[in-house]
Amino acid sequence: MTRRIYALTRARSRPSALPAGSVGWSVLVALALGLIALGAYAYSVQYREGYIVTNLRNPGRGGAAWGLYIAMDVYFVGVSFAGITVASIARLFQLRVLEPVTRLAELLTIAALVAGAIVVIADLGRPGHGLLELPLLARPSSPFFGTFTLVVAGYLFSSMVAFFLTGRRDAATMIARGPSKLRWFYRAWASGYRFTPTEHARHGRTTFWLAITILPLLVVAHSTLGFIFGIQAGRPGWYSALQAPGFLVLAGASGTGMLILAAVIMRRMLRLKAAIPDSAIHWLGGFLWVLSLVYLYFTVVEELTATYAGPHMDRHVAHEIVTGAYSASFWVAVSCLFLAFLIPFLQYLRRRPSVTGIAIAGALVNVGALVKRLLIVVPSQTHGSFLAIEKGVYSPSWIEWSIMAAAASVVLLILLVFARIFPITHGHEDELTRDTPLPRDPLRKVIAIVWALIALVLVIVGLTDSFRLWSGDELDPRIPFAPVIFAAGVMMLFTTAVIYELLPSRRVRKRSARIVDLARTKIPPPRLALATPLRATERRPLPTPRSKP
Amino acid sequence: MSIRRWFIELLDTPTTPSRRAFLRGSAAVGAAAALPSTASATIPKRRRHWGMVIDLDRCSACNACGVACRQENNIPSYDADPEMHGARPEWMSMLWQEPERANASPELLPMPCMHCADPPCVKVCPVGATYKDPDGITMQVWDRCIGCRYCMVACPYSRRSFNWKEPAWSSSELQMLNPDVATRPLGVVEKCTFCHHRVQRLREEAALAGREPTDAELQRLPACATACPAQAITFGDLDDDDSEVAKLASGTRAFRLLEHLGTEPSVYYLKKDRG
Repeated sequence: MTRRIYALTRARSRPSALPAGSVGWSVLVALALGLIALGAYAYSVQYREGYIVTNLRNPGRGGAAWGLYIAMDVYFVGVSFAGITVASIARLFQLRVLEPVTRLAELLTIAALVAGAIVVIADLGRPGHGLLELPLLARPSSPFFGTFTLVVAGYLFSSMVAFFLTGRRDAATMIARGPSKLRWFYRAWASGYRFTPTEHARHGRTTFWLAITILPLLVVAHSTLGFIFGIQAGRPGWYSALQAPGFLVLAGASGTGMLILAAVIMRRMLRLKAAIPDSAIHWLGGFLWVLSLVYLYFTVVEELTATYAGPHMDRHVAHEIVTGAYSASFWVAVSCLFLAFLIPFLQYLRRRPSVTGIAIAGALVNVGALVKRLLIVVPSQTHGSFLAIEKGVYSPSWIEWSIMAAAASVVLLILLVFARIFPITHGHEDELTRDTPLPRDPLRKVIAIVWALIALVLVIVGLTDSFRLWSGDELDPRIPFAPVIFAAGVMMLFTTAVIYELLPSRRVRKRSARIVDLARTKIPPPRLALATPLRATERRPLPTPRSKP
Repeated sequence: MSIRRWFIELLDTPTTPSRRAFLRGSAAVGAAAALPSTASATIPKRRRHWGMVIDLDRCSACNACGVACRQENNIPSYDADPEMHGARPEWMSMLWQEPERANASPELLPMPCMHCADPPCVKVCPVGATYKDPDGITMQVWDRCIGCRYCMVACPYSRRSFNWKEPAWSSSELQMLNPDVATRPLGVVEKCTFCHHRVQRLREEAALAGREPTDAELQRLPACATACPAQAITFGDLDDDDSEVAKLASGTRAFRLLEHLGTEPSVYYLKKDRG
């Protein structure tokens, strides 16, 4: 048995043993840190001198009040879409082919949402007041409510819960590998994972329910982003029922593209060809062309509706976009989206998908999506004012570009650092189903259900009070921090999964039995894919096995 | 409740209509105690619908209204600064329409905030920094504004301005600042308030005398109306059928801007031949 355990721990050396020669990683981290520093400096200038240093101006008087910041926010939240969707779809429909990329997908979601939050803060005129007042008295009647509460509380938090729960098993494996400087981190993450079939079966159930709860939340969150623009009757070009579904689809396309890019780069950088097989990338390529095609269709519908016999100003804005001041950007965006459809589609037709082709499509769709986001945000302000004192122009200033680059670098940095300390793909595990029989554990069930019910009560109380339903003629919620109560309720709802999985069983085993237990359960040893340690073992002579105690 | 109070004090916001009414009442009581007067604070407050009528047949587009508005509401002018192009705060300003679009609306007209009955800007504010006053004024609480600028993009009339930089006045301008109106800091959105402070003061003075403000007192009350040499701007209660403003607004020359949007503006324009 010791031999068996040894074989497991020997397979990979300590994850903290970083190979000396990974220049590419260091260069990328340095680049990301440099850009973040530049962004921080740019923000300090903006904070000190005011928003006059951006090229944003009053709409209707020669400018646009929203520009790159809002476009980037929408873009980042869009990128986050794919991660959690891919992970949820993989779990709901048992798509084993996607399993290798689910952790990367969830990580991308979290990183992109962090970047989105940074950009929102950069956009607020008074961030301090925003951070104080939004929790205190945010109003659900504003479409921003969804961005501030649902996206952060629901979306980011649920991704983190899913990320945490699915990572426990690999964290436990990392501990089993031997001493490491990050042992405390792995132990916290594993939180007592013991490789038992019961835990596995329980995890199968929670992931199913998490996935099925996250999907509707995702649609709502992305739709609120679309509604920010779609319900503004005073802005020709924005006012359209197509905004919400359009946002959802473009979010899916750009996010899938980014996931493909991240997966391809990671697998080359970390030599993970075996762990992330071509089939996963090919599947994502198929998903990408479908979404790009749907969005192209939406674009045609949108422009046709606006230009055929649309109201005067809608036609004006559409003409400016397609043939006027914004035509160059528009055609760049459309060409990128079209190529992102065409390349994977042709490969699909010829039944010869190539990873490089799909990666190029993934990059193109992101360029297209970013430009398209700007084209949604800006032209309706510069050219869509019913009563304009003067026509507007807008192109971002270096301050805005720097902050944007910094936010993108945050995504890069999170991915890079994480890839260093934790396996980016799942180790091998048996299929997760929600039908695996479990030992009777009524107490666990009752606790989880009560917890979820309390969470639901908090959600309802927080939401109704945020809507000022109990406030009578008062302007503020009756309970202080009602939006926080709502958000906390949403978060608590997702922690039900954590409660359900982490609650100790009645027969608590001794901690020292963990590794023995791992061998006893006859689960095949996890094929952990972490490239850096792999390379380290290639260079280093393996330690000799200790003799049997 | 106490936490809420604490935050309210911290944010220094006018809180609720009821609390504002209470404060107004107590202020009047305090004044009444100082002056040997009758129980003026007990007079029930009439609910008004403040509105404005701008007669374009009288208007000569001299922009005196805009200048008076700047003076009254402590709006920095930044006239010489090219950097401030498109970033100047404007509460009352002249809208120029290009001649080829003359069929859409008149060529030149002074525009204050429309104080819509169904304002898009109020709906979208994430923190309630802008709200409908019970008397129909769309108010903006500078100190609660977080500067997301959603109201600016939602306003179809482009009647909201952002403080793109910390407001600055010359030393002589500083001495002329109006103590009745708060200056706005960097990063908040500001807008026309129908000279709410003047309305409040008039109401309090009238309440001390035990009456409601008369229509004659109200007609030229806002700074723009006071300054207009052609007396083209009239202010008053649109719900009061006897008021000048209601009579003008129900006349055949009256129209409102962008009526198809359903925002129900409280500002009416008069023009004989709209063609």
